[in-house]
Amino acid sequence: MAGMPPLLEARALVKRLGGRLVVDGVDLVCHAGQVLGLLGPNGAGKTTTLRMLYGFLSADAGAIRFEGADVSRDLNRFKRQLGVCTQEDTFDGDFTVRQNLEVAAGYFRPRPPEVRRRVDELLERFALATYAGDKPEALSGGFRRRLMIARALVHRPRLLFLDEPTTGLDPQARVAVWDLVNGLRAEGLGIVLTTHYMDEAERLSDALTVLAQGKVVAHGTPKSVLGDMLGEHVVVLEADGATMPAVAAWLGTRGLGEPLAVLGVWHLPLSGEQLADFARSFPALRYEVRPPNLDDLFLKLALPCAG
Amino acid sequence: MRGLTAALEWQSRAVVGRHLRVYLKNWHTSFLPPVLEPITLLLAFGLGLGAYMSSGIEWNGRLVGYINFVAPGMLAYATFMTAIFQSLFGAFIRMRYQRTWEGQLTTQIELRHVVWGEILWAGLLTTSYVAIVSLVLSGCQALGVLQLRLEYLPLVIPIVFVAACAFAALGLCFTALVPTIDHMNLPIFLVVLPVGFVSATYFPLGHPVLAAISTANPLYHLAEGLRGLLLGDRAGYHLAGLAGLLAVMLVILVPLDMRLLRKRVLGD
Repeated sequence: MAGMPPLLEARALVKRLGGRLVVDGVDLVCHAGQVLGLLGPNGAGKTTTLRMLYGFLSADAGAIRFEGADVSRDLNRFKRQLGVCTQEDTFDGDFTVRQNLEVAAGYFRPRPPEVRRRVDELLERFALATYAGDKPEALSGGFRRRLMIARALVHRPRLLFLDEPTTGLDPQARVAVWDLVNGLRAEGLGIVLTTHYMDEAERLSDALTVLAQGKVVAHGTPKSVLGDMLGEHVVVLEADGATMPAVAAWLGTRGLGEPLAVLGVWHLPLSGEQLADFARSFPALRYEVRPPNLDDLFLKLALPCAG
Repeated sequence: MRGLTAALEWQSRAVVGRHLRVYLKNWHTSFLPPVLEPITLLLAFGLGLGAYMSSGIEWNGRLVGYINFVAPGMLAYATFMTAIFQSLFGAFIRMRYQRTWEGQLTTQIELRHVVWGEILWAGLLTTSYVAIVSLVLSGCQALGVLQLRLEYLPLVIPIVFVAACAFAALGLCFTALVPTIDHMNLPIFLVVLPVGFVSATYFPLGHPVLAAISTANPLYHLAEGLRGLLLGDRAGYHLAGLAGLLAVMLVILVPLDMRLLRKRVLGD
């Protein structure tokens, strides 16, 4: 990979929608055989960024490169390399499962070779063969998602966009989609994934780009992002004790802001030194210490004043 | 300019191909309206209403049988209504409820191709509809019900195609603007039906005000142009007027459709 330009590279992307700055200078990179997780709370600009990346929206400023070449010079050629699975089901309800794949193949030039064989292969791989003659509406949520991903792959793209691919699925269906994504990564596809599920992002992503209010607030491996944004430990304690004002004051004097509060429980992200200081300051307090996860990161981003 | 030339790009044809594939799946039900509608209208207007006008009606200074007056008007009205309804309801359903456009836009198809695909499909569907109506009219002529210059029917087909594309471009503007399918009543009652009323399709426009308004109505020029061709009278003035109005409609409305639908579909 050294010396090779990344499969996808975006620099300083800016987008205003309805006069509002939605994406403000976003940079990101995705390599072949890599899953890039694009994370952020609602309204962070994930979907708008994704839509610019796959050519649905044009950027007001910034550049998108595919293997080092500016995609705006030949957007049509770039789009031939992309597979897109949108957040909403957008399959064609007038056609059966098989016909959906065939019709989608007709929207690409050069035409995908041996379409019939490719469709059979995808139906088999995505366990859709049994439903090939059914309308997509007849499928369960998990199989509809499989159809959406299969349709995005019918022309053998090199870069796949998955916008919240498992939202609304039961755990079994989610795991099935994860297996498919893992398999596609192993085949060398670059995958850009947005998700609200933190376990999904942690399990699937080789790299994370975290957005908040339209800007990149962290980038790196899941572990390094958590370390940079949250620290090494999270202290979890019930927020109904008499010592809580003292804990809040302790956070305030150290510039750690407000605690992350969930259902009467405080989650305090702390470094190793801060944890030792906390233990010395509150020797009689009962609390749990755990490693940080992406849920903590989301909570922190959703509460920007939380410091 | 790029928006206009997109009509010739493969992506627009791919969108038309998709609509054609759906149509052919349901051909047996799609085939019925163009066969039954002209028969019903000829019976109701031509033979029914026409029976009260046994001496015929005056058109361009001569008397013609009412059924012969109505038949070309029927072709024009079918062109207008089929194209408008396809671009209003058919396109709206694909855009809003079936999300067909959104799926297409994740491929190499771009919005300008979706717009042209809808317009060209409306043109093609309308032309096939009018071709079937023409066959029914030919059957009626063989039975002695009509006396038209049928040798001019092949000329009708390309005229109808271009007119249907322009009417579809008008319909797509409303598709881009109306918030819900229930609001389709607004363009239908405020624009579509008045345009149909001031068009001389089913009755001549005797009132001078209506006649003056009709000169800016492409459907009027289409009806009178087809009538001129099929009844053997001057058609050149109306066909030239029609060509001018259709060109203006396409040059103005297609880019406007793209602009309005970009905002509506892409939010951009």
